[in-house]
Parts: sequence; structure tokens; C-alpha cells
Amino acid sequence: MSIVESSSKVTTRLKGSVLGALFRSRPAKLGGLLLLAFFIIIIAGTFLTPYNPYENTPDVNAPPSFAHPFGTDNVGHDLFSQVVFGAYSSMYVGLVSAIGSSIIGVVVGTLAGYYRRLEGILTGTGDIILTFPAFPLLILLGSMYPPTDELLIALLILVLWAPIARAVRSQVLSLKERPYVDSARTGGMKDRQIIVQILMPQVVSIAVAYFVLSVAAAVVLVTSLEFLGVGNPDIVSWGSILYWAQQFAFYLGDWWWVLGPGLSITLVALGFALIGFSIEEVMNPRLRV
Amino acid sequence: MDFLGKRIILSLVAFFAALNLDFILPRLAPGSAAEILASGSKLPAVEVALITARFGLNQPLSTQYLLYLKNVFSWPPYFGVSYQFFPQPVTQLIAYRLVWTIILVASSFFLSFAISYTLAGISSMKRGGKFEFGSVFGSIMLWSTPAFWIGMILIWIFGVWLRLLPISGNVAFNAGTGLNYDYSVLVHAILPVLTLTAVVFGQSYFILRGAAQETLKSDYVLSARARGMTERVIAFGYVLRNSLLPVISLLGYSVASLLSAVVIVEAVFGYPGIGDLIVDGVVNRDYPVLEGSFFYVTLVVILGSLLGDFLLLKLDPRLRR
Repeated sequence: MSIVESSSKVTTRLKGSVLGALFRSRPAKLGGLLLLAFFIIIIAGTFLTPYNPYENTPDVNAPPSFAHPFGTDNVGHDLFSQVVFGAYSSMYVGLVSAIGSSIIGVVVGTLAGYYRRLEGILTGTGDIILTFPAFPLLILLGSMYPPTDELLIALLILVLWAPIARAVRSQVLSLKERPYVDSARTGGMKDRQIIVQILMPQVVSIAVAYFVLSVAAAVVLVTSLEFLGVGNPDIVSWGSILYWAQQFAFYLGDWWWVLGPGLSITLVALGFALIGFSIEEVMNPRLRV
Repeated sequence: MDFLGKRIILSLVAFFAALNLDFILPRLAPGSAAEILASGSKLPAVEVALITARFGLNQPLSTQYLLYLKNVFSWPPYFGVSYQFFPQPVTQLIAYRLVWTIILVASSFFLSFAISYTLAGISSMKRGGKFEFGSVFGSIMLWSTPAFWIGMILIWIFGVWLRLLPISGNVAFNAGTGLNYDYSVLVHAILPVLTLTAVVFGQSYFILRGAAQETLKSDYVLSARARGMTERVIAFGYVLRNSLLPVISLLGYSVASLLSAVVIVEAVFGYPGIGDLIVDGVVNRDYPVLEGSFFYVTLVVILGSLLGDFLLLKLDPRLRR
């Protein structure tokens, strides 16, 4: 049995145990349940709720009830329909920007870890982004152009790829010193083959962990931007619901206006975060409790 | 030289990149500042012309750029006069606002560090216990909660419901002087500081806990245990002290994320710091204020990061090869 073969066997066994450990981990299970419940509620809500999110129902400032599970705001918008409606754009932005930044992060991180010549420029760029106060930059860029979902995705990718690249790079740095990489090289494998066939499969789990965490981070960031009024507050989104709540809810005493939408955002982000941190913990045995 | 030299070069590159972004980004924005300013006031055409002439906005970009660089590298750095608070010079405006931001950022930094230090200590005394599980879960929860929502909930509980604490501003109008004034400042800072601490706490706890778990495996911990030292002495005397290096090496990163979070916290609480200034500046297309704020914020972050590197070099002899 060649060394490369045995190393890939080790990887498969490790993967099996990672998945197994993940299914046994309580935080990951809780996160999975939260997300499952969320997706069911959103999909069911889309078909079941009788209100248009922009419709002014006659019930104004109504506390939560059967007709309005999250209550209504000062002009009678049904807050539950607004949360359900807003979920689609938040999920779209969160998932696409997380996919984009994971791909860039893995490619840049692997290259920076493997080729010494590229290390300086790639890690330098990443470090600059990491030490740049990202949120003021996002506000500025988001307020300059009409902030469509696609612009927000591009902005988030700009910020979120750097931590992924950093984690992948440190993983690759330690992986490439392993004896089987040396023997693969002496055995005549080209750099590109080593990267694609040996190194990349082994950074997949850390990349998946960061992907899931990036979804949570992206959702929180986008909601925060919308909350500040970057973009159009008249378009219903998770952030804009709370933007209007900030203007009127305290004064009117509509506690439900803050509670329902805010809790929905937090629980979704928590679901992704629990899964992401669990994968990372399982992957990094030194962190295992 | 090797380590520190590399970091200094990186900081200079970052600083120069930020400097150029500062100049380019505000000018890419659609809608000129003068037009927007005038649209809010009663004097349209005359005022537009006046403001444009006064700030050189009708000059070619290259002239504006040279002027910008010359002003930035003079002492004190000159960023012109704010458009929104018209006759006030930007540097003066920022100097005033920066003090309030530093009050928030510094208190939250130390508070979140103290809390995560204690929690990491207790959880490394008893690995895998209920306490560790609870604090990990709690910090993941805080990490995934949007800062502005934590702020709104705190406003609701302490301001609207219990009526215990003021919910906006930095000091009461009728605060008086001396101790009364200090008291008012303190009371106004409580909720913003709590919010900011909640937001950044998770991150510093994870870094510290990760490092502590690495340290727990070292030989000197084993030998301390063999010599019969209590878990408490081991955790706080040995493990945590030796786990500080990763925290220090990420100082710049922590400062950057604090300064990002402080923008939204100041917006929620109407706290007149630099973050509030940035948000207002974006709305009013106040180029000089935006350039100035980004300049100082980036400078603070880069200096914080260099300070972290310098401390690291002092504390970790392995870097001094």
C-alpha cells in the first residue's frame, strides 16, 4: 500500500469520526433543530399567512394574537408576514456571500500556505482587511451605491474571506510538513496535484465550519446595515423592521415590535453559529471539551 | 528586526491603502456634497457655488488628491471644515468625539477582558463541566446576537420598563459641574458599555479559552499538578498567564472589531462619539468628516496592532531570534 493511499484512508476515517462526533454534539444538534424549525416556519408561513407584508391592516399597534403572531406596527403591518418575507433576502445574501468568501478563502489560504513566494502578498492583503475597521467601510460603500442584494454580497465577501484564508493557511502550513506530502513529491506528484488531491480535501472541514459561521456573520452584518438605514428602509427586510421600531416602538410601548423580529434574527444566527463552532471544535481536537 | 520590521512594513502599507481609500471612496459617491447640503437649506444656487468654491470641489481630482496628501501630512493633520456642522474644523470635531468613543471602547475592552479571563480560568479548572458548557453556549449566543438588538433590549428593560438608566446621549443637559457631571457621564455610559462588552466578549473568550486549552497540556502544568498545587493556582497562576500571547497578538484585530461595533452602538444610543459622526457624515455626504474619521480610526487600529506586536516581542523571547 503506497503512502498516498494510506493517507487518504486516514482522511476518510477521520471524516467518519468528525461526522459522528458532530451528530453526538449537543450544541450541533440544537443548532440543527433551530434551523429546521426556522425553515419550516418560513416556508409554511409563506403559504399560510394571509397578509401582504406591505399591507396596512386595520389592526394598528396590536399586541401578538392568533391573527398576528408577532403583533402589528404603528400603521398595521403584520410583523410576522414581514419577518417571513424578509427571511428570503437575508438568507440569499447570507448564503451566497458565505459561499463566495469560502471559495476565495480556501483558494487564497491554500496558495498562501503552500507557496512561500505568494505568502507575503496574500497574507499581507488579508491582514490589512482584518485590521481595517470593516463596518464603517461597509456603511460608506453601502450608502454610495443603491444597495442591492448583489452589492451587499460583494461587500460582505470583501470582508469575510480574510479570516477563512487565515485559518486555511495555518492548516496548510502544518499539513505540508507531513512526511506523506514529502513522499508524494519525491514520488513525482506535481505541486498542483498535491494541492488538489492531498491538501484541499483536508481543509474541507475547516472550510465548512467557517462557511457556516460566515452565514451567521453575514446575516448579522446585513441586518445591522439595514438597521442603520443604509439602503432603502421602505423595503421590508429584517433590518428595516427594526429601523422603524427604533423610531416608534419605544415611544408607543410596542415591545412586540422589537421582540419578535429581533429574536428571529438571533435564533437563526445562533443556529448557524452553533453548528459552525461545533464543526470547528470537532475538527480541532485540542479544543475538544 | 525580522519580526518587528515585517510588521512595521505591513502597517505602513495598510496605512497607505487606507489613506487612498479615504480619498477615493467618498468621491465615488453619487450626488455632490454641495447639492445635498443645499437641498436641506433655503439658499440653493448661491450656497452650492460658495461651498464648491470654498472646498475646491470643482478642481480636477489630481489637484484635490495632492491637496489632500499635503494636508494629511502637515501637523496637525488638516481635513478642512465639516459641511454639516459648517464652520467647525474636522480635527477639532473629531478630537471632541474621539474622547467619548475612547471612554466606551476602553471600558468595554477591559470589562470584556476581565470577564473572559475569569470565565476561562474557571472553565480550565474544571474541564468539560456544566460551567464550561454554559459559558461556551452563552458566548456563542452573544456572538450571534446583533449588537443593535442587544442595545434595544437593554433600552427597553432599563430605560422604558424599570426607568433606571438614561437611554441616549452622553450626559444630561442639566448635569451641573464637578461630581454631578461625572455621575451623569457614568450613568449614561452604562448601557452602551454593557452592549459593546456583550458584543466583543465572545471573541476574546474563545481566543483565551483556546489558548488555555493548549497550555493545559504543557509539561509544567503536569509537574505543577504532580507537586500538588491546587487547580486554582494552576489555572490563574500558570495557565492563563501563559495563554495571554495569542490575545496580545490579536490586539489589533480586537481594536478593529471594537471600533466596528462601536459605530452601531453609538447609533442606537445616540452617543456623540466618532461612530455617530460617521453615520451622520454618510447621510450628509460630509467628505471632510468621513476622511478625517477614517484616518483617525485606521490610525488607532494600526497603532493598537503595532503595540500588540511590540508587547509580543517583549514577552515572547522566541520571536527575538
